Order: sequence, then C-alpha cells, then structure tokens
Amino acid sequence: MTGLIFLAAAIAMMTALAGYRGVAIGLFGVSAVAAVLWLDRYMTEPLKLSF
Amino acid sequence: MGQLVRLGNAAGAAAIAVILLIAFGLQFGLKELPCPLCNLQRAAFVLCGFGFLLNLRFGIQPLHYGLTLLGALFGLVASGFQALLYIAPGTAAHGAPVLGLHLYTWSLLLSFAVIAFVAVLMIFSGRPEHHNTDHQTALRFRGVSRLAAYLLIAATLANAANSFLLCGPAECSDNPTSYWISKYLPS
Repeated sequence: MTGLIFLAAAIAMMTALAGYRGVAIGLFGVSAVAAVLWLDRYMTEPLKLSF
Repeated sequence: MGQLVRLGNAAGAAAIAVILLIAFGLQFGLKELPCPLCNLQRAAFVLCGFGFLLNLRFGIQPLHYGLTLLGALFGLVASGFQALLYIAPGTAAHGAPVLGLHLYTWSLLLSFAVIAFVAVLMIFSGRPEHHNTDHQTALRFRGVSRLAAYLLIAATLANAANSFLLCGPAECSDNPTSYWISKYLPS
C-alpha cells in the first residue's frame, strides 16, 4: 500500500511536469488521503507517556 | 528576489530528494529495513517535495506552499507519534541512532525545518505569479529547477519500488526482517 502511495505521488509529479496542474493536485490529494488513512491504521499502539 | 525564491524552491526539492536518498543509504548501509511508520515518514517528505515542484513548474503560489505545509504536518504527526512511542525511559527504541538521534527524531526535526523554510520562502515570495502564462513559467523551468524536479521524481519512484519489494501489494509487518519479494526468489 505504501508503494502505491509513492507511485501516486510520482505520477502526480510527472503529470505536473507535463503541465496538467489540476490533475496533478488531484493525484496529490489521493496520495495524501491514502497516506493519512494508512497512518491511522498503524497508530494503534498505546503511548506509554506516564512513568 | 523572485530568482532567489525560485532557487529556494529548487533547493527545497533537492533537499527532500537528498533526505530520501540518505534514508536509502542508511537502509542498505546499516541493513535496517524501514518500518511502516518510517515509510510513511518518507511519504510525508515526498508530499512536501510536491509543493516545491509545483512552484518550480507553475510559478510561486500560496496553494503550492500550502500543499508542502500539509505534507510537513503529516510528517510531524507520523514522526511525533513514533517518537512518543519510545519516549519513556527504558523503552527499546527502533533502529540504530544516527549522529545521536534516531531516524524518527531526525524526521520530526526535519518536518519542523520544512515548515520554517516554507515560512521564510513565503515572506520573501511577494505577490503570487498568477499573471504569468503557462508558457512563461514553463520556459523558466530549466537548469537547476529541472534537475531538482527530476531528482525528486527519481527518489520517489525508487521509494515506490522499495516499498513494493519490502511489503508487497498489501500490509507490511510492524517490524519487517526481510523483503516480501525474497519469498519468491530462489535461495
């Protein structure tokens, strides 16, 4: 899944270089939302903050 | 001043690419495979680099800086969470320290640095370059700017390949000890 996030970001960058800013920002949004959802999936371990 | 800000954005994109390449170097040098949170911190840097790249290609605009700041905030959350996981005394940390700090701590500091850097660039940016045509901005996208953009894209694609080889198409283990692809390679 992280590989797909990187891939979407790379395609967004290449799309931007080709001059399609709207599409690039859309792809950026997709990869950013996927990254946030994936982070939420891994933020399960409880923090041991009191010692 | 515009030239200086453009150079700053090129330096930002190149710095993000160098950070990603250093992470690669440490991965192979120290033979430590990145954990899922570590990979997400790398993704955060890629998201930061995207805003710099848009500034180089389409001209300086607040929207592009906003995207970089969102990437940096994501990096702060991912690295901050991992730093807090190991903050209690006696808790085993993840990975070997580099120059006295663990990589997630470096990631936390670098995310703050990106925010500070963008703040400085925004102060010196002046008015947005909305008035320029795409042809004008495309003409200025050459030399160092183009090199920095290509370097960033290459580093992002390398990370995509690395993540796929490490985790495969699905979920990565919390503490990977071998590459996913190694299961399918003859030993």
